[in-house]
Amino acid sequence: MTETLLARSITVSSSQPLLALDDVSMAFRTRRGLFRSGEVTAVAGVSLAIARGETVALVGESGSGKTTVGRVSLRLLQPTSGRVVFDKQDITDVPEERLNWLRKRTAIVFQDPFSSLNPYMTVADLIAEPLVIDGLKDAGVRRAQVRAALAAVDLTPTDRFVNRHPSSMSGGQRQRVGIARALIRNPDYMVADEPVSMVDASSRVEILNLLHGLQRERGVTFLYITHDIASARHFAGRIAVMHLGSIVETGSARQVIDHPVHPYTRALIAAVPEPDPANRFLRRSTEQWQDTPGVAIHADCPHGGSLTLPAVLLEVSGDPGHAVACHLEPPRGR
Amino acid sequence: MTPLLAVDDLHLWYDADGGKVVRAVDGVSFTLEQRGEALGIVGESGSGKSSLALALMRMLPKNVARFDGAVRLAGRELTPLSDDQFRREIRWQRIAMVFQGAMSVLNPVLRIGEQIAEPLLLERRYDKARARARVRDLLERVGLPAGFASRYPHELSGGQRQRIGIATALALDPDVLILDEPTSALDVSVQAQIMNLLKDLKEDPGISMLFITHDIGLASDLCDRIAVTYAGEQMEVGPAERVLVAPRHPYSQLLLASLPRLHSDVPPRTMPGDPPDLTAIPAGCRFHPRCPYAWEDCLNHPPGIPLPDGGHARCWLNDPVVAGDRYQIQLRPTEAARD
Repeated sequence: MTETLLARSITVSSSQPLLALDDVSMAFRTRRGLFRSGEVTAVAGVSLAIARGETVALVGESGSGKTTVGRVSLRLLQPTSGRVVFDKQDITDVPEERLNWLRKRTAIVFQDPFSSLNPYMTVADLIAEPLVIDGLKDAGVRRAQVRAALAAVDLTPTDRFVNRHPSSMSGGQRQRVGIARALIRNPDYMVADEPVSMVDASSRVEILNLLHGLQRERGVTFLYITHDIASARHFAGRIAVMHLGSIVETGSARQVIDHPVHPYTRALIAAVPEPDPANRFLRRSTEQWQDTPGVAIHADCPHGGSLTLPAVLLEVSGDPGHAVACHLEPPRGR
Repeated sequence: MTPLLAVDDLHLWYDADGGKVVRAVDGVSFTLEQRGEALGIVGESGSGKSSLALALMRMLPKNVARFDGAVRLAGRELTPLSDDQFRREIRWQRIAMVFQGAMSVLNPVLRIGEQIAEPLLLERRYDKARARARVRDLLERVGLPAGFASRYPHELSGGQRQRIGIATALALDPDVLILDEPTSALDVSVQAQIMNLLKDLKEDPGISMLFITHDIGLASDLCDRIAVTYAGEQMEVGPAERVLVAPRHPYSQLLLASLPRLHSDVPPRTMPGDPPDLTAIPAGCRFHPRCPYAWEDCLNHPPGIPLPDGGHARCWLNDPVVAGDRYQIQLRPTEAARD
């Protein structure tokens, strides 16, 4: 029990977090055939705190539960268990009709700028839609705010973009429209769910720099969801690696990438084809990670991997802020 | 030695709306030297890299405006072949292709075995019993159990489907395998598995590959040489180990500098501007409007200037006479010039 408490105290360490997830689990019902139904645990026991103005990267492969964590943090999903606290208010069980204030203070940038923007709407209408929903009737004020948002995402001169349709724009430009739309209500907290995975390589840095700039200039707090751990190094202060619904390792970008402890983190890093002459023609680890969700146990485990206790996040000894999922004593890093 | 595949001044243009012409492949030349060589064709979307694959496979859409150039396979000129001859003798038999989305390429109502066997049974190349045995061999070669032959595509994961795509392409023992973004829809660990398989096939039986990708890191993991493609042209071709550390074209340099590095705190840099519209390609060097090094001479279209390592770069910086003092400029991939 003390271990569990210790784990919480590590992941919820920020003094005044804007957002805190405490031991959140999320299960979805599935249907198999006509009558049978099952349950899939997408997220199991995730605790995460994000300080004001901080960017945390949630890194994982598909099916790791990273998108579900993002949606729970926005209360787009209600967790099966655990608490969601936004700006000191417990929002876990607040009904949707009483969450309008949260909708105005939070936003999401979606992965796919091709399907997330209505092709029949102009750029101006797309960006202004949240204001219309808020009941802002003055079209002149709306126009001014749309132009300000376009300028904030560098779609300038704004005259050239307001009346265009998404179909006439590049992937990078469309994603800027998606960001402008997310920005229009001046949110405190944004979830960016794979914001550049469908954008061309040479435009990715621009989009990420843009999000980084918003964080600096407006103090926006970010949850950056990505499968690309290299981008997490450069655009997030802290990284949480997710695997099968749980956070298996968390720490500063350097702690996690330069000194990974958990075997899954190590395998994930080794699988990245870095453009480096020393990193060519390698047989990369293709370890299949078929563990039970919530039990991040593995044969490479220095403790033999034979324990059945659920793993908890414990601080790596001698490396403050760096925690790894373990079933036993605090593991040794470095 | 005669190269396995020699492409010379290949053009593939399309008719577009409003009488415009899309110059998707615009004078591309390269060779694939020997058995088991892999050439990486690296470019962003709209660079014409997928059109190059379709041109080599002669799988052309209806709106082709121009299609010419020389393609020689082991010394044999393919251009004069009729479409019928090309279908019977070259496509899938000598040159085969793996497509990007194995999800959409597989027929959802056919069992995997039937799909792999399809090219074997066409033209009565194999009888049914031999085709079945061949399917088992092919599944084994791509690391899948023989029982997969009776499964349907929806029962397979993305990585397994891409293995089926590779097995299908290998069915008739081609000399050249073209891979168009074969891992772009896959997770990194599954991507690593597919790349391991391709590395194996490159060694044994020594299939030569054209590996088309937007990811220069991925290309360098498999490929001996890299061709960096931009706006329908090859900007630079050279050995991967040199291109990664000492590119000789500013576009290659900026592309490398724009990648977030896993093990370095040097921040990735923004590439200025947008890729050109292929219906309105800039005069002179196609990259000059975005190039931090551009000067007046860049308004003249540069040829592929030969480099000492056998590659070439389409940039005047590599011509000592035209470049003058600029000839000394080192293009370091982690510190692109500020615009």
